Amino acid sequence: MTTQTEQMRTNQVSPQGGYESWAWKWMRYSALLLIPLAWGHVLIQDVLVGVHSIDLDYVAMRWASLGWRVYDFLLLSFAFAHGVNGLRQVLNDYIRQDRTRRRVSWLLFLLWIVISLIGAAAIVGGVRVP
Amino acid sequence: MESLKLNISGMARYRGREGQLSFILHRLAGLGTLLFLAIHIVDTATVYFFPSLYDHAIDIYRSTPFMIGEIILVFCIIYHGVNGVRIAIFDLFAPDRWNIETQRITAQWSLALAVILWLPAAYLMGRSLLVHNFGL
Repeated sequence: MTTQTEQMRTNQVSPQGGYESWAWKWMRYSALLLIPLAWGHVLIQDVLVGVHSIDLDYVAMRWASLGWRVYDFLLLSFAFAHGVNGLRQVLNDYIRQDRTRRRVSWLLFLLWIVISLIGAAAIVGGVRVP
Repeated sequence: MESLKLNISGMARYRGREGQLSFILHRLAGLGTLLFLAIHIVDTATVYFFPSLYDHAIDIYRSTPFMIGEIILVFCIIYHGVNGVRIAIFDLFAPDRWNIETQRITAQWSLALAVILWLPAAYLMGRSLLVHNFGL
């Protein structure tokens, strides 16, 4: 077994490129970026501020600064795309047929577009007074 | 469905130790976070689309089961992050270090580091739960 592993290590092949190779790299680079973005967001909103102090006025106050809107927009785009692509990779482990894979990928793509647009519209539009 | 059943029974029997455990934990933590994130984007979007509904959505998050879920969610985000950085570092900068001994040790360390980072957060959130929902 050990010799086999050694063999695998020395006979490295370079990936072919294309979409999957790009997605694989992107998952790792976006992960490094998501550490400060997602952890910062969770540390501030969930741990330090807490859900009992969050209401419409709080969101309005936070989004009054452009910096936080940009932050939330980056978080939305990177975290949700990272998550949906991750779900696609998990599902591809269980789906055997190419046709089903393509359909599921399109479905996930639509889900990603729709929810991202809903989130982006809220960040751009801001809080409306009820 | 058949392959899913095969996979779950295989997961229970396969003795992959740290590598398999971190693989399962990483996926479950990621999928759980994604489920929450999808709901969270939509409920936050009510501030623009239906502002009168936002306080109602936040009320649900303030309930005890959701606050416990929030503490678990924070663990998922911390573990997925620590273990994800471990994977990214090996994949991008040290692919020749993907061997069983190194992976076993680093998988143990990433779980330990995640728990260490999570404990103070869990303490603060648990205290907030007791103060607000149980009048401590």
